Amino acid sequence: MAEKIGKHIAIYGKGGIGKSTTTSNISAALAEAGYRVIQIGCDPKSDSTNTLRGNNYLPTVLDSLREGNKIHLEDISVKGFSGVLCIESGGPVPGVGCAGRGINAAVTLLQELHLFEEFKPDFVLYDVLGDVVCGGFAVPIRDGITDRAYVVSSSDFMALYAANNLFKAINKYAPSGGAKLGGVIANSMKPGYHREIVEDFVEKTGTSIAGYVNRSIDVQQSELYGKTVIEAKPKSAQADIYRELAKYIARNDDLVIPNPMGVAELKEWARTWGDRIYDIENGVVGLAEAI
Amino acid sequence: MSEIIKNPRNGCALHGALKTVQEIKGAVPVIHANAGCGVINYFAGKASSGGSSRYSGYSVPGTAIQDRHVIFGGASRLREQIKNTIKVVNGDLYVILNSCESAMVGDDVDAMTREIVDQGEPVVDTLVAGFNGGEHYGYEHVLADILSSIDGVKKSEKNTDPKLVNIFGIIPGKDPYWQGNLEEIKRILEGFGLRVNTFFGPYGGVDDLVNAKNAALTIAFSKWGELPAEKLKEKYDIPVLLRPSLPVGAEQLRSLADSIAGSIDIDKDEVDKFLAKEEAYERDLLYRAREDIIENDLSATAVLVGDEEQVIRLGAFLTEVLGMEIYAAVITDLLKKDEEHKSDNIEFLKNIAGNIYITSDQKEIEDIIRSEKPEVIFGSSLEKKIADKFDIPIIETSYPVFEKLILNKASAGIKGEISFIEEYVTVAKKFKAEKKSKLLSYIKGEGRESSAETSQTVRNVRKLSLVTG
Ligand SMILES: Nc1ncnc2c1ncn2[C@@H]1O[C@H](COP(=O)(O)OP(=O)(O)OP(=O)(O)O)[C@@H](O)[C@H]1O
Ligand code: SF4
Ligand SMILES: [Mg+2]
Repeated sequence: MAEKIGKHIAIYGKGGIGKSTTTSNISAALAEAGYRVIQIGCDPKSDSTNTLRGNNYLPTVLDSLREGNKIHLEDISVKGFSGVLCIESGGPVPGVGCAGRGINAAVTLLQELHLFEEFKPDFVLYDVLGDVVCGGFAVPIRDGITDRAYVVSSSDFMALYAANNLFKAINKYAPSGGAKLGGVIANSMKPGYHREIVEDFVEKTGTSIAGYVNRSIDVQQSELYGKTVIEAKPKSAQADIYRELAKYIARNDDLVIPNPMGVAELKEWARTWGDRIYDIENGVVGLAEAI
Repeated sequence: MSEIIKNPRNGCALHGALKTVQEIKGAVPVIHANAGCGVINYFAGKASSGGSSRYSGYSVPGTAIQDRHVIFGGASRLREQIKNTIKVVNGDLYVILNSCESAMVGDDVDAMTREIVDQGEPVVDTLVAGFNGGEHYGYEHVLADILSSIDGVKKSEKNTDPKLVNIFGIIPGKDPYWQGNLEEIKRILEGFGLRVNTFFGPYGGVDDLVNAKNAALTIAFSKWGELPAEKLKEKYDIPVLLRPSLPVGAEQLRSLADSIAGSIDIDKDEVDKFLAKEEAYERDLLYRAREDIIENDLSATAVLVGDEEQVIRLGAFLTEVLGMEIYAAVITDLLKKDEEHKSDNIEFLKNIAGNIYITSDQKEIEDIIRSEKPEVIFGSSLEKKIADKFDIPIIETSYPVFEKLILNKASAGIKGEISFIEEYVTVAKKFKAEKKSKLLSYIKGEGRESSAETSQTVRNVRKLSLVTG
């Protein structure tokens, strides 16, 4: 591949964990700081960039491809908050066709349209749907499209399980030029043992935490206004959390190939945490001793 | 997991199904795949001996699916293609052949087929993705699928005919002599007083598929006939007779007649009369060939290369009638590990050949021949190179055969037996004559300039003197 223009970052994570919200706030924070940013939603739901562009209609790349007309960048992109260029790959209707191949085709098409040469971004963020379920969804971290991936996770077991699966994909592709891991974004953090679980997980897998994002009503409120927190509540503490996270991601060049846990190991690890949480909740031991 | 097969002689399931449908008169194939899938089959067939089948070349109806059909699903493209095909190609039955792509994308082809059937069109579909199996798999599955759905699209009363038999297991285009063999087996069964659904070639057609349910018996002449035969048994309770191979020679005709008599009523006198005539005919012609057989030393040692049915059929004849010794048999129709067939023909094979190998890899087959050192090879044109190298004759009996056109010549039954002897003696005579002329030109001192040629001739001379003592 030719010399990459800008840093290309893929954001993965379990369905509904907060990928789109977090990615959009990072994009908004980076743009606010003066960077040129593109956010590409790699998801047939095509809702990744909603809060960056006030929920306005944006035709997806694959919608245009389906119609078979000649495609121009202007038709499939729109500038949102602070000039973030918003693009949605789109996909087939649920239950039909191959979404994995769709994402692959959309990204290829964007490259063919010289998106990066034209826009000259500092950062390109790929908001990739759900878990890595098949080869198609691993496309953004394969083939050198992105060089770094972040995973959004809460302290829930299934979210960490999805993160571990992503680690497996990175582990497989990184040696042949695929993306490496930038870190875990710990989302929906609440007081209590949640941080400790994620911290233990990153330690076990040889990775690190890029930032903690609290669970906050500001996020939901801003979303209802069709905005990011950065735009709707620029002075809030939550906005500063996203700014911190964006700064970290912008600077971080410490990329690793994770050591994913095996299935049995992961289950065993979860079980020990299950016991500890039970004890904590029931006041058997204090938090400090539990850690 | 995967390994490279050098010059494989088998296409994928889609190709087997396509070959099969192409040879059923009135049936129109509609390939739901990307454009290349059908064309590969065309090129493979073109290089071989069978001529061109119906809808051959680039004119096979197909969806030629592209990237956007993979992404958004190809079902609507298929609907369009079926409708167009029905408009421009007259057919009694349209058979949708699903490939790897449509299977992986998960197109709901069944729903699409139902939709068109509801509009009154005779359409059936089958999944013959290449990752499911090879050409032989394609043959048995497309037939089984057609037979299980044809009643729904071509309605007719079931009316069992006690003299009607279905025959399966001879794969069109896969045996160079398939057409002649079908005709010959039909002639023989009719000689037994039976009527035959041949399905393929000029005597077959969609009507045979519709009528299959009225048969009193289904005979599978190779393991690949088993699945469609069992399908008819399951649906219509038609008994199945599994034979390891087609018969060749009068004695095997008698054994076939006996086993048919074990399943259905046939007129013993009529059969005896017919067999007596066939035996007389066989005796007469073999008698006429006796000097050629003896003078050309046909009772040599051999390696046999071909599909299991061909190996069993030919092997039994070569050992029992010509008294040959088969050092090794190479079986080229591979079964996948998880494919279940009732037929287990290993005992037959053990009686035929010293060593039995299963491979369709040209390099491996050459290595086998190299180590077995036979005096003659029965195989395909792919074995010609190694035959030339070892300076032994090759008789082309299995797919592919490159430098011939074979339309209705048989290699089974009585006619096939006779034409096989003709072919074998012809090759042996020609081989001998060539050797003689090489020897003569060596003695006269021609071609001594070329050292490579000389050394080859010297080797030939040595071998010849060994043979002639
Ligand atoms: N830190 C947070 N605090 C409060 N609510 C949050 C937070 N992060 C995400 N949410 C809410 O969770 C919901 C799901 O978030 P989002 O759509 O970003 O998830 P996603 O991972 O992109 O989902 P999908 O996999 O469906 O694309 C949204 O309604 C969002 O407002
Ligand atoms: S193996 Fe699959 S892709 Fe290849 S020709 Fe056969 S159906 Fe087509
Ligand atoms: Mg999302």
